[in-house]
Amino acid sequence: MQRNRPPSAQTINVLRALAADPARWRYGYDLATEVHLKSGSLYPILVRLADRGLLETSWEPSEGSRPPRHLYRLSTAGREYVAALPAARAGRTVHSPHNHLSEA
Amino acid sequence: MPIFIPLICLMGMGVALLQRSAQAVPADPAAREDVPARLLRWAVGLLSPRREEWGQAMLGELHHIDGRGRRWRFAAGCAGAALLLPPWGRAATAVTALVAVAAGSAVLYAFLGVRYGLGVWDWVFAAIALVLLACYALVASVLLRQPGVALPGLLGGLLVGLMWLILSGHTFYDVINLVTSPLGTLVLVIALPVLVGVAGTLWSGSAAAGRRIARLAGISAGLSISLYGIIAVVALGTGGPPGDPGCTGSCLIADRIATNTIFYLWLLPLTTAALGWSAAAATARVRPRLAAIVGSAPVTVTGVVAARRHRAAHVVLTCALVAAFLIGIAVAFLKG
Repeated sequence: MQRNRPPSAQTINVLRALAADPARWRYGYDLATEVHLKSGSLYPILVRLADRGLLETSWEPSEGSRPPRHLYRLSTAGREYVAALPAARAGRTVHSPHNHLSEA
Repeated sequence: MPIFIPLICLMGMGVALLQRSAQAVPADPAAREDVPARLLRWAVGLLSPRREEWGQAMLGELHHIDGRGRRWRFAAGCAGAALLLPPWGRAATAVTALVAVAAGSAVLYAFLGVRYGLGVWDWVFAAIALVLLACYALVASVLLRQPGVALPGLLGGLLVGLMWLILSGHTFYDVINLVTSPLGTLVLVIALPVLVGVAGTLWSGSAAAGRRIARLAGISAGLSISLYGIIAVVALGTGGPPGDPGCTGSCLIADRIATNTIFYLWLLPLTTAALGWSAAAATARVRPRLAAIVGSAPVTVTGVVAARRHRAAHVVLTCALVAAFLIGIAVAFLKG
């Protein structure tokens, strides 16, 4: 059974970063840098969002010998979810020092 | 001789690792992956098939990150996530059970330390035991998620644990006062690990899986018998078999904790894993179709130099291993 716990502050930060330009595909590392999350925290969040249908994923064609990169953007359900987030929760931005400490 | 067994086992593992790394090094430097990439590739191999795409996503992203520090941080974070990311399938039950066993031992170690007021050095020893317990729980959680390893590995661990209890005695008194006949010692530290390595390799049809089965058998048996041993220490308290002359109270408890740690958390897992590993490799030599296929790469000057260095290190370590083994036999003979 799917648990629908309220999203964590880090998850909200990721959602808001993706919602800033919902049509744009994003790389995992760029997203992690933008929301100041470590890769070990970001990927489980992305996995959970994709499992809940809030995230679309795609593969960028590979360049030369390098493997392809995974791309992410909000699905329609994801955009609706972000829009429906309470203002107080959605208002938590990534740049507060408290959030930096809480993810460490 | 028992003092030499862990040393010989460690050296044997060194020889095996050197031999394996010499085979695995591609001759073309461009084809080599750096350590973060290898770490991450290993970790994503633990993900369930349902999460395979996410493993490829992490690896693909790492290939586009420059800078040693950045690559290390990204790979370490992703490896940690891959180790914990569910679902774990059927392995979850066994992992939970082994972690519970390790946690139970840790709690009892701490209880004994507080109850009998152990000294600083005894606490250091207990801390080493706790670190070993944590490492074994982590390694077991990794091994249990490898395909074809869990069932034979746990059965091997059950066999090893039962044989230790049968040959050294199964009562609390026997477990604390570990005494085996010379033949029993040979069976426990040599024949049994070899049997586990050979049987595991033949069961799984692969030398790599056979080595993992031997490791899991050693760890699961060590964790289980160690828990039994520490329960025995708690149950008997300062009673039971006498210790060294003048050693009573907390000294006796500290002595028993040390014995439990050395034999069940160190000697048992190490001999089972190391000799089982060697037996699995030997089985693959006898039946080459069981060995892992190693791809050939074009030969370059750098590759030849690396191969020579590996070969030299391999010869030196093998000679040291043989010398240590001979010295061990000589010492055992002279003492006898």
